[in-house]
Amino acid sequence: MSVFLSSLGFGLITAAVLAIATVGFTMQFAVTNVLNLAYGSVMINSAFVTYYLNLHAHLNAWVAMIGGVVTGSVASYLINRCIFTPFQRRNLPPITIVIVALGVDLCGTFGLQAIVGGSYFNYRQSPGRQWHFWGMYFSTLQLTIIGIAVVVLALVHWLLKYTRLGKAMRATSANMNLARNSGVRTQMVISTTWIISGALCGLAGTVFAMDTGVFDATSAQLYIVLLLSAMFLGGPGEPYGAMLGAVTIGVATEVSAGFINPQYKEVIAFVVLLGMLMFRPYGIFGKEKTL
Amino acid sequence: MSAIFFYLATVLVYGAVDAMACLALNVEFGFAGLSNFGFIIFQAVGAYVAAALSMGPWKSSNGGFQQYVFGWHLPFPFPWIGAALAGGLLALPFVFLVGKRLRGDFAAVGLLVSAVLLNQLVNNYVPLFNGAAGISIVPAPFQGFWNPQSLGYQFAYGGVAAVLSILTYFLLRRITESPYGRSLRAMRDNDIVADSLGKNLRVQRTSIMVLGGMIAGLSGAILVGFINLWAPGAWGYAETIVLFAAIIVGGAGNHKGAVLGAILVPLGFEEITRFIPPLSNPSLIPALQWVAIGLLIILFLWFRPNGILPERRRILSGGEVLAPAPATSNDDGEPLINLGNLDNMDFRSLLRLKGDAGEHDVILSTEGLSRSFHGVTVVSDVSIQIQRGRLTGLIGPNGAGKSTTLAMLAGTLAPSSGKIFYEGRDISSMPSHQRAQAGIVRTFQLASEFKKLTVLENLVCAIPHQSGDSFVGAARGRRHWGREDQENIERAKEMLDGFGLSQYADSYAGGLSGGQRRLVEIMRALLAEPKVLLLDEPMAGVHPNLAHKIGDQLTRLVESGMTIAMVEHELAIMDAFCDPVIVLAEGQVLAEGTMAELRAKAEVVEAYLVG
Repeated sequence: MSVFLSSLGFGLITAAVLAIATVGFTMQFAVTNVLNLAYGSVMINSAFVTYYLNLHAHLNAWVAMIGGVVTGSVASYLINRCIFTPFQRRNLPPITIVIVALGVDLCGTFGLQAIVGGSYFNYRQSPGRQWHFWGMYFSTLQLTIIGIAVVVLALVHWLLKYTRLGKAMRATSANMNLARNSGVRTQMVISTTWIISGALCGLAGTVFAMDTGVFDATSAQLYIVLLLSAMFLGGPGEPYGAMLGAVTIGVATEVSAGFINPQYKEVIAFVVLLGMLMFRPYGIFGKEKTL
Repeated sequence: MSAIFFYLATVLVYGAVDAMACLALNVEFGFAGLSNFGFIIFQAVGAYVAAALSMGPWKSSNGGFQQYVFGWHLPFPFPWIGAALAGGLLALPFVFLVGKRLRGDFAAVGLLVSAVLLNQLVNNYVPLFNGAAGISIVPAPFQGFWNPQSLGYQFAYGGVAAVLSILTYFLLRRITESPYGRSLRAMRDNDIVADSLGKNLRVQRTSIMVLGGMIAGLSGAILVGFINLWAPGAWGYAETIVLFAAIIVGGAGNHKGAVLGAILVPLGFEEITRFIPPLSNPSLIPALQWVAIGLLIILFLWFRPNGILPERRRILSGGEVLAPAPATSNDDGEPLINLGNLDNMDFRSLLRLKGDAGEHDVILSTEGLSRSFHGVTVVSDVSIQIQRGRLTGLIGPNGAGKSTTLAMLAGTLAPSSGKIFYEGRDISSMPSHQRAQAGIVRTFQLASEFKKLTVLENLVCAIPHQSGDSFVGAARGRRHWGREDQENIERAKEMLDGFGLSQYADSYAGGLSGGQRRLVEIMRALLAEPKVLLLDEPMAGVHPNLAHKIGDQLTRLVESGMTIAMVEHELAIMDAFCDPVIVLAEGQVLAEGTMAELRAKAEVVEAYLVG
């Protein structure tokens, strides 16, 4: 029982990071129909900016985090504006854009590695005091991460549900042509979505680095497995599904790690992903948009 | 001096291995449209199996410092055969990802993630693969008889590798330049349409993934026998991206392009960086190498998306120089199409029609057919009967469920409930390619030509029962199917001539005008030799004069014993050609009868006016 509870605690932290990342990832898919496999490289670049601002430019950790968020936002906007959009204008099949995204990922990840080198970086914050709830242990840092996730997801909910922009995003995602014909400025909506989802991506990278403490330029490469599993579990392009998927995958991987070899903890995410692709490629509650 | 020769032998082996891998991936990606983002694991598995089969039992070999399975100490060539088999077998679990109509990019990420995860597992699981350390001291073939370090051995090894890659080239060309290869490219261009013409996507994709996996496995075996090492670090998922970069640079869908790409990208990058002196930052060069691969992909896809050696256009018409299309068009800008020969065309022999005119029994019928999309019912309890040898019209306002009904008849969509009967058999759960093979062929509302097939290829690939249109048939070579294919080409040319499109025979179908593509689609569906032809708005975008000419031909087809059901908006067409006409509104059958009878019914008129 205690193994279960302590791993559940870990799971909630992993889920918090994953939820922020997956919501951004799925929003990009929702409005542009692009599986942005370069997402992980933007995450890790943002994490490095935060790291640098905090530990080398000696800025406050929160200010540094904003630097990371802005990096993710700007980088994502530029990637969409300068690469994905021009390619999509040529009416290429989705797979071509995915291959392009892989190319961008290589440039982002290894461009960073060329600059910072191949060694690991230590971004251990002071964990703060230990908190103890219902058999789960959290440090103040970990509670902060969970808190950030809750606040951010609440903001996303508010954005989607109660703002004109959110409504326009949902309309664009459901049917871009119809949205455009109904007076939605879809190009503007798409750009804004990439700015917002990029901010989530940057934030996710930063809290990912804070959570693991040690990272290098390629640390986010395996993260795409969790990201894709969480997204497909909730249904691609569904922000609420992404939140649910992230919590499920985050908790499931950590709880399973408590009972089997932690080195195989991604396996459960992998099994979920393949199962979803096999039986319900549009998510547990999802519906098919194409055809 | 001899150092250079040793180096050349090494380059020869690496070049042959890369060429085989690129050729195999190109058949999957460039020909069959399968984006196998996990390709590298097929090569890795082949290499591992070859190593584990050629080594002795792990406990007694070299003090048991490394663990692996098999350890059967098999002599050459058995480890290589085992490697090819393992690569082929590995394809089977992935068939579910590519076998059904899963979006290509979704299947691709599934394969990508599989590659990432398997690599992770191998790195951590010692008993099977010796973990991240990998396996070393893998015996070279014949090492007891011939010193693997001798120059002669190394060149012989390179020679064998080169011969195998050349054999691969010819084997793959034999497959792709056959009627089967045509079907593969059709599937690549539009899988749903290929399915509706009777191509079994699952079988086609499986056979290509198994073939690609076997070649990848063999190439891995060649590599591991030469370098005598196997470590998971060398088989990261990103290595697949390098191979994709090679194919994009060389030219997807072109075997020579794949070989060129293999020489330029994996081999070229590896060899060029050998000559850069070591820097203080040891990860800088590999990192920049990856950045260069990424840039290469993006820039090539933007500036030269078809690669250095683009896919070749297949000239099937026999090469006679055809006059360019006369630039005639009427006042509306619609090109005039001369349908002069159509009236003389003998459909009965050309389309091998067997039915007798005048028989009007029910050939296709539905009982309580319904379909809903996420809770919205689009077709509700539709029971219709389509009679043999008649041209049945389906009309109704937008959203009436006409196209959905047609799609369910053809098997493109599965019904939510209800049954479909064809010649007395319940075919409700029969997959669409089987229905096409049984004689139910449909066309699509949206453009559905195979873009990168020529017009003639579009037509020929629809013809059923081609002896070269299977993996085995293609492998038996042109002698097996050549004569028959020539006959099929002649049939397609005759059809093309009848519709006045001969001058476009060797043009890519993707380059035609909207009206011309419509005609290509109709001709293609006819050559599939349907007993029941289901047309979804065939006249949309076609000039009214031409539409009437086509309508006349449809009438002739029906008189020759074919059964046609047609969704159409244009009432004038219905008036002129269709009998009976079924009216659908809000997913239900509203009325049925001749147009004259329907015009008399108030509710029909109202449905149309209101809708």
